[in-house]
Amino acid sequence: MTTLATPPDTAPLDDTPAVPDRAPRRKVGRWILFAVMLAIAAVMLYPFWVMIFTSLKSEQQFLSGGGFSWLSWRDLTSVIPIGQEILSSTIVCSASILVILVVGLPAGFAFSKLRFRASTAVFLIMVSAMMVPLQAILMPEFVNVTRLHLTGGYLGAILVYAALGTPFSVFLFTTYFRGVPDELIEAGIVDGLGYFGALWRLVVPIAIPAIATVTVLQFIQIWDDLLVGLLFIQNTNERPITVGLAVLAAGRTTSIPELMAGSLISAVPAMVVYLIFQRYLVKGLTMGIDR
Amino acid sequence: MSVMTTNAPRARRLTLRRRRQLAGFAFALPAIALVVGFIGVPIGQAVYYSFTQWDGLTSTWIGWSTWSQAFHNTDLWTALENNAKLLITVPFALGLPLLIAVLLHQRVAGWRIFRSIYFLPTAISWVVLGLVAERFFAYQGTLNSIIHFFGFAHTNTNMLGYESTALTALGITFIFTMIGTNTILFLTGLATLDPTLEEAARIDGAGRWRIFRSITLPHLSRFIQLAFVVTVIALFSALFSLIFVMTGGGPGYSTTTMEFLIYQTGFNQGDFGTAALYGLILFVLTAIVGIVQLRLIGSNE
Repeated sequence: MTTLATPPDTAPLDDTPAVPDRAPRRKVGRWILFAVMLAIAAVMLYPFWVMIFTSLKSEQQFLSGGGFSWLSWRDLTSVIPIGQEILSSTIVCSASILVILVVGLPAGFAFSKLRFRASTAVFLIMVSAMMVPLQAILMPEFVNVTRLHLTGGYLGAILVYAALGTPFSVFLFTTYFRGVPDELIEAGIVDGLGYFGALWRLVVPIAIPAIATVTVLQFIQIWDDLLVGLLFIQNTNERPITVGLAVLAAGRTTSIPELMAGSLISAVPAMVVYLIFQRYLVKGLTMGIDR
Repeated sequence: MSVMTTNAPRARRLTLRRRRQLAGFAFALPAIALVVGFIGVPIGQAVYYSFTQWDGLTSTWIGWSTWSQAFHNTDLWTALENNAKLLITVPFALGLPLLIAVLLHQRVAGWRIFRSIYFLPTAISWVVLGLVAERFFAYQGTLNSIIHFFGFAHTNTNMLGYESTALTALGITFIFTMIGTNTILFLTGLATLDPTLEEAARIDGAGRWRIFRSITLPHLSRFIQLAFVVTVIALFSALFSLIFVMTGGGPGYSTTTMEFLIYQTGFNQGDFGTAALYGLILFVLTAIVGIVQLRLIGSNE
């Protein structure tokens, strides 16, 4: 889910002065507050402990309620082709993000600094494309991509993900580049860098935070997605991990502990990315209104 | 990229500006092509195919028949009704995160760690969260354990198993999945609030509730509007993963929303024409919400 416009100098989420701590009589209140927050933390971590504890049971133990076993972890790879699926997810994610950046960065540069006739109108149409859910155009999209023979490998899914991610990234890059002084670009172009050089040598280095935001947001979105991978990758040996899990789950034949073990593994990459790049994710989600 | 023209003097005059415009257009072209090809063209096709009998291979023009058939189809109305019912979750999907954000904003010891924990489910696929939710609501699941813990030893629920309760279970799961995103939005909003304002009000003798209502809430209004739009759009277009793993749209059609009906009609029943039409209806619904969001951007810029 992505939203709205921003200048590059958005205030970081923390670092604003805290509500000042006051008299000691507040101390009891602070402890109650702490306890409430701990309780909320327990609720928010619920998915993780369900996955961890359920996966540490054999199917029998799961059905009878008690016990502990590594069985579902040991047999996991024979039930779910984890390695293959993670590889597929990685390929699809990185290729889609690459396409998004390669088309998004020049477009953002164009809409902010090299404005052409009707560029504002084109930009607005581009922004509105953000609001179109894939489901709304699912049938024609599926038939088009199938007719182009792109569902045999990863290419179809990559292009669909790229197309869905491009409007937001163009929007983000455009608003970001508006903050780059025009004089800098002028000087670069006059000095013989050319338009492409100005983009590559001047704009892209400044845009690293915006690039990080797009990359992190898209990585999590694509890694976690089901619909595109399900329909646009026809070969079952090339399924991304989220799709593999969903199909197994919907089939209702896989044991729950194994499904939970697989879920946990599938969740790890996106969680790691999130924890490392939390700041960029937060920025991306709140683009435009955190002033 | 050189400009070819026969009108030499005029070209010399315009050359710099035109070159720049051409470069701009060339730079924007790949993005435009991708979006037009994969989003714009299919919208047009959906309109065309909604007037045809279409199985994905051959299409026959049948005019308004698809439309009149669709609107006489109870599935469509059930799905729309399910979408409408799910709107009841929106106040919860906004209220709980607002509360959590306000708590986080008190900056209690370790609040950064709490913040990371609260946002963590945001990184997880709704497929995985759906699987976990299924465990929660299952006959042998956490919900029944909680009920038993509170002394109702013989009460057993199986919310996903019944038409009357499955949609409620789906709605509760949706609220949980939205908490992270909306809390991020509200916390960002609170961070932009000038703390001296609250302090001044406190010195003036205003109580906590009064400060919240008169200062915090008005300050957050555009964040709340944005969260509202984000939540409603997610409700219309992001439940697919949850439904796919939790209920498959059932029991009956009790958890089939518009987006899932599109998938079912197209891929289970092979009726591509009707599915394309349902897609258009979803498109119009989200466009209405989208216009609200564009107005928000407009009012902020």
